[in-house]
Amino acid sequence: MDIRELKRQSDLSYDIAIAKRNALEKAHSRQVMAYNGHLFRANPQTICLVRTLMATNSSFFIMDTNENPVEIKDADDFLNRLIARNQEALNAYHQMYQTFTRKSD
Amino acid sequence: MTQGVLLFCFDTEHTRYHRILERCVGLIKKNLKSQITVVTDFETYEKLKPLGCVNYKFIEPELGNKLNGRTWNNVDRHMAYELSPYDTTLVMDIDYFCFSDNLVQLFNTDYDFLVANQAHDLSGRNTFDLRKWSMIPMVWATVLVFKKNQRVRKIFDTVKYIKKNYSYFNEMYRVYARNLRNDYLFAMALQQINGFIGYPKIPFALATLPPDCEVVKVTDEGLVWRRKDQISYVEGQDVHVLNKDVANV
Repeated sequence: MDIRELKRQSDLSYDIAIAKRNALEKAHSRQVMAYNGHLFRANPQTICLVRTLMATNSSFFIMDTNENPVEIKDADDFLNRLIARNQEALNAYHQMYQTFTRKSD
Repeated sequence: MTQGVLLFCFDTEHTRYHRILERCVGLIKKNLKSQITVVTDFETYEKLKPLGCVNYKFIEPELGNKLNGRTWNNVDRHMAYELSPYDTTLVMDIDYFCFSDNLVQLFNTDYDFLVANQAHDLSGRNTFDLRKWSMIPMVWATVLVFKKNQRVRKIFDTVKYIKKNYSYFNEMYRVYARNLRNDYLFAMALQQINGFIGYPKIPFALATLPPDCEVVKVTDEGLVWRRKDQISYVEGQDVHVLNKDVANV
């Protein structure tokens, strides 16, 4: 057993794990967006909730990140912005993730 | 309605904070594209290279804190309300480097006061989760956003009052900090003024680099740091750098 090689592998795994955690945190921060004077997180939960509510209502209420209710009058516009923000954040995360994959090869 | 960024910068015997300010201002102009006002003293101002369209307000800084023989003047933040020329103000530490435009979102809300309550340790050791023994939830006054109105004026008045009676409030809330910190002042003031219940917060953690991480390179996109034998970097992510040697990078 080559201990040096094991240590190198362990260090590399640690570095990748930390970098991944930081990239994920970056994605979480990036998902925060302002709309109608309130802050929302463009995550799967918000996107799914908006899509579900807009299927039956033209306007509806949801809660912002500080648990205050907000009336959404233009659901299409809101959903488009949420998806754009979400995908922008995840695209950056994906690019970073590919560098981790290359490093660990 | 005007909006802009308010920064406080005072050189000390050991640290050339004006060098950090120069980098911070460049990043704000590039990424936040916002007006900037710098609160400083004449001695620091004289050392600054030309920063373009930046407003300056000169004050004589109050004597600050001391740690490991190094001083820093950071106890004037309670004056941000009076010093800010903007209707909506983003107050930021100069060592918070905006490598993204994330903070722009905070300008576009109806909230009159927002502050962060979480920090993310970029070195992966969760070193900022230690402040759990105080009686009140803590905040990070590194970044805060406020609008000028009567309620917010009362928040700043409360900060001033707590600052004046810091040792009493320190004991009462079991903060037990030796130094006067803006984080604690604002945590106590917000707790008091909001009826001891809760208040709106910035919904993301402030990515922070602990003091034992040495910044080795800073670009317009991000920075590289070293800790022991480990080299890491971030790009496109805002970073609060606690190691003041970044002034020399």
